[in-house]
Amino acid sequence: MKLAGLKSVENAHDESIWAAAWVPATDERPALLLTGSLDETVRMWRPDELAPVGSPCKGHALGVVSVAAHPSGAVAASSSIDGFIRVFDVDSYASIATLEASPSEVWSMQFDPKGTILAVAGGGGSTVKLWDTSTWQLVASFPVPRPDGAPPDKTGSSKFVLSVAWSPDGKRLACGSIDGTIAVFDVARAKFLHHLEGHNMPVRSMVFSPVDPRVLFTASDDTNIHMYDAEGKSLVGAMSGHSSWVLSVDASPDGTAIATGSSDRTVKLWDLSTRSAVQTMKNHSDQVWGVAFRPPGGSGVRVGRLASVSEDRSISLYDYS
Amino acid sequence: MGGLVYIPVQNSEEEVRVALDQLPRDATDMIDILKAEQAPLHLWLIIAREYFKQGKIDQFRQILEEGSSPEIDEYYADVKYERIAILNALAAYYTYLGKIETKQRDKEEHFISATQYYNRASRIDPHELSTWIGKGQLYVAKGELQTASESFRIALVEDPNCVPALLGQACVDFNIAEREEHYKKAMDSYKSSLENYKRALQINPNCPASVRLGIGYCRYKLGQFEKARQSFQRVLQLDPENVEALVALGVMDLQTNEADGIRKGMEYMRRAFEIHPYCPMALNYLANHFFFTGQHFLVEQLTETALAVGSHGLMKAHSYYNLARSYHSKGDFEKALRYYMASVKETSKPQEFVLPYYGLGQVQLKLGDFRSSLSSFEKVLEVHPENCESLKVVGHIYSQLGEIEKAIETFRKATRIDPKDSGAFTELGELLIASDSGAALDALKTARNLLKKGGQELEIELLNNIGVLHFDKGDFELAEQTFKEALGDGIWLSLLTGSIESRVHSLQYRDFSLFHQLEEDSSCIVLPWDKVTTLFNYARLLEQLNDTGKASNLYRLILFKYPDYIDAYLRLAAMAKARNNIQLSIELINDALKVDDKCPDALCMLGDLELKIDDWLKAKDTFRAAKDATDGKDSYATLALGNWNYFAALRNEKRGPKLEATHLEKAKELYTKVLTQRPSNLYAANGSAIVLAEKGHFDVSKDIFTQVQEATSGSIFVQMPDVWVNLAHVYFAQGHFALAAKMYQNCLRKFYYNTDTQVLLYLARTHYEAEQWQDCKKTLLRAIHLAPSNYTLRFDAGVAMQKFSASTLQKTKRTADEVRSTVTELKNAVRVFSLLSTASSYLVYGFDEKKRETHVDYCKHLLEAAKVHCEAAEREEQQNRQRLEVARQVSLAEEARRKAEEHRKFQMEKRKQEDELKQVLQQEEHFERIKEQLKNSTIPGKRRERPQGEEEEGGDRKRRRGGGGGKRRRKEKKTKTRFEEEMEDEHEDMEEDRNALNDDDDDGAEKPQNDLVAAGLEDSDAEDDLGSAINRKRRAWSESDDDDEPSDKLHSRTTGQNLAEMDEEPDEIKAKGDHGDGEEDDD
Repeated sequence: MKLAGLKSVENAHDESIWAAAWVPATDERPALLLTGSLDETVRMWRPDELAPVGSPCKGHALGVVSVAAHPSGAVAASSSIDGFIRVFDVDSYASIATLEASPSEVWSMQFDPKGTILAVAGGGGSTVKLWDTSTWQLVASFPVPRPDGAPPDKTGSSKFVLSVAWSPDGKRLACGSIDGTIAVFDVARAKFLHHLEGHNMPVRSMVFSPVDPRVLFTASDDTNIHMYDAEGKSLVGAMSGHSSWVLSVDASPDGTAIATGSSDRTVKLWDLSTRSAVQTMKNHSDQVWGVAFRPPGGSGVRVGRLASVSEDRSISLYDYS
Repeated sequence: MGGLVYIPVQNSEEEVRVALDQLPRDATDMIDILKAEQAPLHLWLIIAREYFKQGKIDQFRQILEEGSSPEIDEYYADVKYERIAILNALAAYYTYLGKIETKQRDKEEHFISATQYYNRASRIDPHELSTWIGKGQLYVAKGELQTASESFRIALVEDPNCVPALLGQACVDFNIAEREEHYKKAMDSYKSSLENYKRALQINPNCPASVRLGIGYCRYKLGQFEKARQSFQRVLQLDPENVEALVALGVMDLQTNEADGIRKGMEYMRRAFEIHPYCPMALNYLANHFFFTGQHFLVEQLTETALAVGSHGLMKAHSYYNLARSYHSKGDFEKALRYYMASVKETSKPQEFVLPYYGLGQVQLKLGDFRSSLSSFEKVLEVHPENCESLKVVGHIYSQLGEIEKAIETFRKATRIDPKDSGAFTELGELLIASDSGAALDALKTARNLLKKGGQELEIELLNNIGVLHFDKGDFELAEQTFKEALGDGIWLSLLTGSIESRVHSLQYRDFSLFHQLEEDSSCIVLPWDKVTTLFNYARLLEQLNDTGKASNLYRLILFKYPDYIDAYLRLAAMAKARNNIQLSIELINDALKVDDKCPDALCMLGDLELKIDDWLKAKDTFRAAKDATDGKDSYATLALGNWNYFAALRNEKRGPKLEATHLEKAKELYTKVLTQRPSNLYAANGSAIVLAEKGHFDVSKDIFTQVQEATSGSIFVQMPDVWVNLAHVYFAQGHFALAAKMYQNCLRKFYYNTDTQVLLYLARTHYEAEQWQDCKKTLLRAIHLAPSNYTLRFDAGVAMQKFSASTLQKTKRTADEVRSTVTELKNAVRVFSLLSTASSYLVYGFDEKKRETHVDYCKHLLEAAKVHCEAAEREEQQNRQRLEVARQVSLAEEARRKAEEHRKFQMEKRKQEDELKQVLQQEEHFERIKEQLKNSTIPGKRRERPQGEEEEGGDRKRRRGGGGGKRRRKEKKTKTRFEEEMEDEHEDMEEDRNALNDDDDDGAEKPQNDLVAAGLEDSDAEDDLGSAINRKRRAWSESDDDDEPSDKLHSRTTGQNLAEMDEEPDEIKAKGDHGDGEEDDD
C-alpha cells in the first residue's frame, strides 16, 4: 500500500482549487479529473498526463466550491458560492440545467450510486436537497434535526450542513454539519435515523467504505478522521495525525485504505487494518482541499490513481498500489 | 651506668671523684667545687650534661650559665673549644625550648636567647664547626631553611666530612623539598638530601639508625619505594624498636591498598603502638584503620590518646580529623563539625592538611550552611585546584545559592579536568537547561555515552531530560526514541503499538473502563512512580505529533494509577478544548480541581473555558481565585484578568467612554504588574502594547510588538500569532497597507495554515482600505469558503463588490470590459445580498435587514446606471474603434504619399540622367512633368481635407463627451453625497461585521456546549439588543491571547515542573556520593 507521485501541474487554475472529482470512464474515453476553483471555472484533465481537456468552463460566479460526476460519466455538476448548481454534459461542456433551491446555499454534492439522485448539502438551510437527475426537479428536502439535548440555538448557524455522502448501496445518506454532528437518513423512507457524535468542529468531507456500506469515514476540523458504524451509531475508531483541519477524505476502491487532505498542506494515506498513517505526501504548499481516488473501470486501467488539489493552484496525481 | 668524673684539685695531684649518678641535688655545690678547683671546662660540660640526662634541667642550665659567665670567660680566656661548647650547649638548649614552646612570644624569646649564645660562641671562634651546625639547627627550628642551609654549608666548607653538618644539610634539603610546590625542584631537593644522608652514612657507618630513617624518607619521597622499604628494614635490624621505622613501613604497606598490605601495615602499626603507645602517628593510622573497619569506639580512644600525647599541630589535626570523620560517618554532624573545625585550626595553612576542609565542607553543606561550606571547599581547591569532587560540590553549592553562572562555570571546569565524569556532565547539563538548551543537550548526551560506555545503568531522569531537550529543539524523532528508551518495557508499549485495542474510544477522555477491563483481564497494570514524568512527557510529545489518540491513552493511564496527577487532567482538558468539546474540557478541569481546588493552572484554564462560552462574570471570578491562590504571583492569572478587562473595555457596543477608560486603565495596571514581576513576560508586553495602541500611541506599541515578535522567533513552544496580528493592526492604523497585508499573510501562513477567517477578514479590510477590490473580494471568498456559516463575510463580500463597481464607474477612463465586469460584479453583489435576505428568514446573523435592503437597492440602482454606462462605454468603444480605423487609413495614405514622394525623387534623379543623355525622350519628359503636376495638386488637396475631418471628428467627440460628462457630473454630485454616507456606513459595517463575525464564529462553534443557564442568559441578552449586542468581544486584537496561551503555558510549566522534580533527585544522590568520596585521598 503506497502512493507514488506521478505528476504535478502548477497553476492548473488561476486561483485556489477548491474541489475535485473523477468523471468515470465511458466507452469512448478514460476517466477524467474534474476540478473547480475560486477562479470561477471548472476544468477537466486527462488521467495520466494531466493535460487539460477542452477549454475552461465558465459560467460560475464567486468561487466553485464543489464538483460531482454522474456515475455514467456523461454528466457532471458544479456548485459555487452564488448558490447555483450547473449541470453540464461532460464531453461538450454544454449546459444541461441550472439548479437553484432558494433559500438555500449549496455546499458539497454527490450523485447517488445509481445516478438517479443528486444530493446537495444545503448550508445554512439546514437541509439536504435531493434532485432528480432525469427531470432536474427538486424531489425531496430532508431537514437535518438538531441532536437531542443540544443547547438552544442562538443564531441558527450551528446547524449548517456542509457535506453529504451516499452509502454504496444507495440506501443511506449521511450529512455532516458545521457543529461536527452527522445525521444519517434512510433515503427510501425519507426518514432521519440518528446522529453520529464525536466531532465538535465542522465536518467538511465524508465517504462511505466502498466495501462495507455501514462504515463511514469523516474528516473534521478537529484534525481527526473518524470511522463510524453508521448503522450501529457508534464510533469505531479515530485516526489522528494531521496538524490542522482535515478538509477532504476519500476511500480507495478496494476499501483497504483512505486518503485525506488537510490544511496542514499534506496528503496522508491511512492503512485501515492498522488505522495508522502509512504515508504522508508533501507535494502541496497550501491547504489540500480535495483528494479523490479514480473509480475502477475503463479500458486498460489496472492501477489506482489518486488526485489531490490545493489552495496553491496545483493538482497532483499519484499512483496508488 | 653511672660513670665517674675526676676533678683535679688545684695545685695538687689529687682529684675529686664525682659519681655522675650521685650528683648533688643543689647545683651550686657542684659549681662551688668546679670553681674552687678551677676545673677544666670540659668537666663542667660533662656534669651539666649529666644533669640534663637526669632531667635536672635547672641544674644543667645553672652550671652552663655559670660556665659561660664573663668571669669564667676571663679566667679561661685561652680555652676556646670548651667555652664554645658550653655556649653551644646552652644555645641548643634554648633552641629546643623554642622548638617545643607553643606560645609564640615565649618561642621568640627562646630563639633570641639561643641566637645570643651562638653569637657569643662565634665571637670566640668564627670557624668553629659545632657553632655553625648549632646555628643551622636553630634556623631549622625557626623554619628559616635557607639560612639554615647556609650555616650548614659553611660548616661543610670547613670540614666536608662533618657528619652533623651533613645530616643537618640533609634535613634542610628534605624540608625544603617538603615545602617546595614545584614538583621537579622538590625532587631535586630530595635527591640532594638523600646524597647528604648517604655521605653521612659513608663517613660514619656506625651512625645511629635514624640516619637510615632519613634515607628511607628521601627514597620514599623520590618514589623509590623498594629502596625506602629496605632502608626502614635496615633501621629495624639495627634498632628493632624504632617506632618511626615501624610506622613508616606500616604506612607504606597500608598504601599498597591491598588486603595483604593493609594487614601487614597494621601489624607494623600495632608493633609501634606496643613499643611506644603514644606515637601519635601510629595512633592516627590505627584510628584511621579502625575507622574503615567501622570500630568507632577504638577510633575515638586512639585519637583521644593521640591528642593527649601529641603536641605537633599537624598530628593533632590528623587526630581531630579522624575523630570528626568518625562522627561524620555516624551521622553526628554537630560533633563532626566541631572536630573538623578543631582539625582545621591546628593547621595554619590548608596546604598542610586539606582533608578536614573537605569534611568540614561536607558537614556544613549537610547542615545547610552553604556559604561556609563553599569557603571550605574553596580552600580544598586552593590546594588541589583540579579536584573534581570538590569542584562538583562547589558547583552544586553555587546552584543551590542561585549563582547559576558560577555553577555552570565550575561544572564546565570539572568536566574539562575529568572528561569521563558522567555525574559532572549530568549536573552541568541540568544547569544549562534553562539557559542554553543546546549545550545542555550536549552535556547530557556526553553523560549518557559515558554511562553507556561504563556499562552503568542509565538513570531515567537523565534520559528524560535528554528527551525533553530534543523535544524542545523540535527533534521529535530523537525525543521519541529517548523517551522510549527511558520508559523501557511496560503496559504503555502495548498502548502505543495498539495491541491493546480500546473499544471505548480515546475520545472519552474521562473514561477509564479500558484500564479496569485490563486489570480484570488478569494483567495487572504497573506504572512505576519514577516513570510517570517521562510517560507524561512522551504523551506530550505524541500530542505535538498530532497523535492525540495515543496521547490521551497515556494520560489516562497515568491518571488511572496516579489520580492526583493534575497535569494529565489539564492536558486532557486542553485536548478536549482543541477539539472544541468544551463541556468535556470543563468536566476534566473539575476533576483536576477535585484533587486541588486551588491549583492555579486548572483555575486559569477553567476561566478561559468560561470566557469561551461567554460566561464573563464567572470567568472573572475564576481568574481572581487563581490569582489569590498564588498570592498574585502567577502571571497567567493576572494576565488573564488584564485581558478580561481589556475585552470588557471594548465589549460594549455603546462604549461608555468612562467605563472603557477604567477598564483599559485596569488592564494596563495588571499588565504592568506582571511585567514588574517578570520583565520578560511576552504576553504582558503584548498586552500593554495593545493598550498603548488602543490609546493611539502607535510608535511605542509598534516597538514593543516588534520586540515581542523577535523574542518569540526560534521557539516551537512560544507561538504568538497575536503579536503579528497586532503589529499588522498598527501598520494598518498608520496607513501602511502593503506592510499590514504582508504581515497578515505571513501570520496566516506561519501560524494558522491559512485557516483563520478572522485574520483573513483583517486582510480583506486592509485590501479594502487600499482600494484593492479584487484582492479584497478574493480574500473574503476564501474566508467564506473556510467559514461558510459566517454570513457577515458574505455581506462584506457584497459590499466589496459594490464598492468595486462604484469606483470603476467613477473612473473617468474605463473600457467597456471594465464596465462589463462591473455589471457582473454588481449582479453578484445583488445576488449575495438577496441570498442573505432569504437566509435571514431562518437565521439571525446580527446585522440590520434595512441596511441590507439599502445595499440591494443601491446596487440595483447602480446596476441600472451601469447599464447606461455600459452602453455608453460600448458606444464609445465603437467610436474609438472607428476613430482608430480612420487613423489607420490616414496613416496608410501618408505611407502611400511618402512612397510616392520617394518614387518621384528617384524618378527625378533618373530623369536628370536621362535628360542629359537623351533628348529623344523629351516628349515623355513633358508628359512626366504633367504627371508630376497632377500629383502635386492632388496631395495638398488631401492635406487640406484631412484636418477638416479631424476637427469635425474631434469636435463631435468633444461635444458628445462633454454632454455625457456633464450628465454624469451632475449625477455624481448627487451620488457623491450618497456615496459618502454609504462609505461611512460601510466603514461602520465593516467594523461591526468584524465584531459580529467574532461572535458568530465563537457562538457557532460553542453552542452545543453552552449549558442551559448560560445560554438562557445569552438569549435574554441577545433579545435586549439583537444583532448588535452580539458584539461581545469586539475586535480580536488579542482575541487569541487567551486561546493560545493556556496550552503553551501549561506546557512550559509542566516541563519546568518535571525538570524540577528531576533536579531534586540528583541532589540526594549527590550528597550521598560526597560522603563516600571524602574518605579517599590520603598522604
